[in-house]
Amino acid sequence: MRFEIKPASGVTHLVIEGELDAVSVSDLRPELEKLVKARPAIVEVDLSSLRMVDSSGVGALVSLYKRVRAQGGSVVIKGLRDQPLAIFRLLRLDRVMLNADSRTPPPAHKQSKSRH
Amino acid sequence: MQVVSAVGEAFNNIVLHGYGGRTGSGREGSIDLRIQTRRGHIRIELRDWGSGFDPTGVPPPAFDTLPESGLGLFIMQSFMEMAYRQGRPNLLTLSKRYVDRSSAARKSEGAT
Repeated sequence: MRFEIKPASGVTHLVIEGELDAVSVSDLRPELEKLVKARPAIVEVDLSSLRMVDSSGVGALVSLYKRVRAQGGSVVIKGLRDQPLAIFRLLRLDRVMLNADSRTPPPAHKQSKSRH
Repeated sequence: MQVVSAVGEAFNNIVLHGYGGRTGSGREGSIDLRIQTRRGHIRIELRDWGSGFDPTGVPPPAFDTLPESGLGLFIMQSFMEMAYRQGRPNLLTLSKRYVDRSSAARKSEGAT
């Protein structure tokens, strides 16, 4: 699992790649803690290169989502596909976490993969 | 994909809950993993010698509250048939029927 956090004034970008599971989530949690403490207005989570997620990884993402929103911020999750998307659908998180924010861009055109 | 997810959750449950608290204590826990396959069916048995649990006593996740834990058992039971017997060892069995695509493909090729 690799991840990258790019804080910015408007949107904080979080990219998670590979497998987010009970082992690798321990590397991510302290950084998510710092991210939440910075009280970001918007967190954009790019999961387009996330291959696998388990319940521990989902727990970390749900925690991020709830805590940022509790501070008045918002979290946008993008790019879910394959196994991670199936898990989000199974746990009924797709309705809440993927659609709650109207800032999610419509899938009408494919976004470039450039990361700023 | 569903089998990998379910077995991963089962394994993590044993490590985190069955053998919870043993990390760093110098005491190790074993997990015996057996996989049986026959046409269109997979059966996986996990045996462990840690603390057992009663799966029927675990309520389903309250999705409305966006739960952060207790999701692993739900994933296991959703993706595979699950049976559990508490004891020494504890025995968790996950099984699933699936479409055997390779034999279906061979049959299809043989027909042409």
